Amino acid sequence: MHVAYGDAPALRGVSLRVGPGELVSVVGPNGAGKTTLVNAILRLLPIRQGTVRLGGEDVTSADARAMRLRGVALIPEGRRLFATMSVEENLEMGCYPPSARRYRDEGIARVYAMFPRLKERYRQQAGTLSGGEQQMVAIGRAMMARPRLLLIDEPSLGLAPAIVEQVFETIRAIHADGLSILLIEQNAARALAIAARGYVLEDGRVVAEGPARALMAEPQIRAAYLGEGDAADPREGGER
Amino acid sequence: MPSANLLGQSLLSGILAGGLYALLGLGLSLSWRFLRIINLSHFGFIFLGAYLTYQVATSFHLSPFAVMLAIVPLLFALGVAQQALFVRFAVNEFGSLLVTFGMVAIIESLIQYFWTADFRRLESGYGTLSYRIGPLFLPVAEALTFLVAVVLGLAAWAALRFTYLGKAMRASAEDPAMAAAFGVRERSLALLVAGTSAATAGIAGTFVALTATLAPAQIYAWIGVIFAVVIMGGLGNPLGILAAGLLIGVSEALTMALTSPSWAPLVSFTLLIAVLILRPGRV
Ligand SMILES: Nc1ncnc2c1ncn2[C@@H]1O[C@H](COP(=O)(O)OP(=O)(O)O)[C@@H](O)[C@H]1O
Ligand SMILES: [Mg+2]
Repeated sequence: MHVAYGDAPALRGVSLRVGPGELVSVVGPNGAGKTTLVNAILRLLPIRQGTVRLGGEDVTSADARAMRLRGVALIPEGRRLFATMSVEENLEMGCYPPSARRYRDEGIARVYAMFPRLKERYRQQAGTLSGGEQQMVAIGRAMMARPRLLLIDEPSLGLAPAIVEQVFETIRAIHADGLSILLIEQNAARALAIAARGYVLEDGRVVAEGPARALMAEPQIRAAYLGEGDAADPREGGER
Repeated sequence: MPSANLLGQSLLSGILAGGLYALLGLGLSLSWRFLRIINLSHFGFIFLGAYLTYQVATSFHLSPFAVMLAIVPLLFALGVAQQALFVRFAVNEFGSLLVTFGMVAIIESLIQYFWTADFRRLESGYGTLSYRIGPLFLPVAEALTFLVAVVLGLAAWAALRFTYLGKAMRASAEDPAMAAAFGVRERSLALLVAGTSAATAGIAGTFVALTATLAPAQIYAWIGVIFAVVIMGGLGNPLGILAAGLLIGVSEALTMALTSPSWAPLVSFTLLIAVLILRPGRV
């Protein structure tokens, strides 16, 4: 797909795929277009050119609500909870469309079982929670209505290392339940460690892709994203 | 020092006036918070409702409340159409103030054209009716206005708090993109808010017709005090509006009883400024 902000292109022909039950990571530096990619998939941004398919169905002309109804859920960069609403109201927004409301009780029970801390604070305003607790609400909100594809944008951003550990553990557990996940991260080492496949995005283009293990072994990628060796340009070695 | 009776009567009329203020401000507050539209034409809608109530009830000898039932869907449709225009021309919060200022002027001219600038008074029988409670008089029309204000305020509060649509409105006001990602259709929700807000103006109009003498220029008479109520109550906060309406209504009435009527208009703005200083960030 191609996506632009006005005249400024942000994605220049990015192509990627998440298989059923697969966990795929997209890594890349700040400003590479990772958030743009997620927003375009969700149709929060218009796609200039290209197609989006979901389980064989062409959904290029769908809008954000239609994507939601088809089971695509988002854990956005920076959590973006509805700050003045309570924890439980935020979760309820996760099953807002009428056809999803039957999952309300089951979903809330599942989220509270996963994060007992949230059950204690169900009436608290989401904006007053700690960063880690907010991330739990953001995960719970996305999980409410049995999604089939989960888009996760920089879940480790701004969280303490111990909390990051917990968040990745949760993602791994959710994935083990069979959910398809597209995981966006700047923290490439972490993201590739739990992914089957990965893509490296730079300046709106995919500069490398392949099995996560193979990507992690690439010297250029190790140098640029995993903080090892001297900073070679990863583009030269990327399998494009 | 005025007598206890006089003070009691002032307090009562202040409470009742507070109800009217809350009723007039409710829709304004909802569209300001949830549509980011500062809708001055709300006051035009109120007087449109008042004049229609006056005209239809007088011409066809109908109960003003029967007329109100017809005015509600009419104004709902008007509110929806107006919001569609705002979306079509991408009117923002500041722009809405200018555009709707023009719209009130148009509504005022229309009213003046159809009903002239003369004073009109609905002879419904409610206007002069009052009950005696001990030493106090309870005017029926004002008491009904108060009751309706409380009922609508509570209904709006409950809808915002307990229904999916209400939660979606709050979510959308906070973060429209995130609300959309979770399936909220912002546009249709906005039409619903606009229609509902205009419908409350229609209801308020019927009660204005019951309790006040109508003249086109009166449209502007309420704007100051209602803005004070809306801002003080907190945008999109129906219970806050009720509280602020009561506070301002009672303060005005007591000021009139204890000093002179000419001081009353100062009260609402003094209170408003005090609230803005003590609790900034309300708008
Ligand atoms: N709302 C916007 N308007 C204009 N340009 C934007 C906007 N959002 C992002 N961009 C630009 O698009 C590019 C990709 O941004 P983004 O997708 O947020 O990157 P990432 O998530 O990988 O850090 C950047 O150059 C950024 O400056
Ligand atoms: Mg980003």
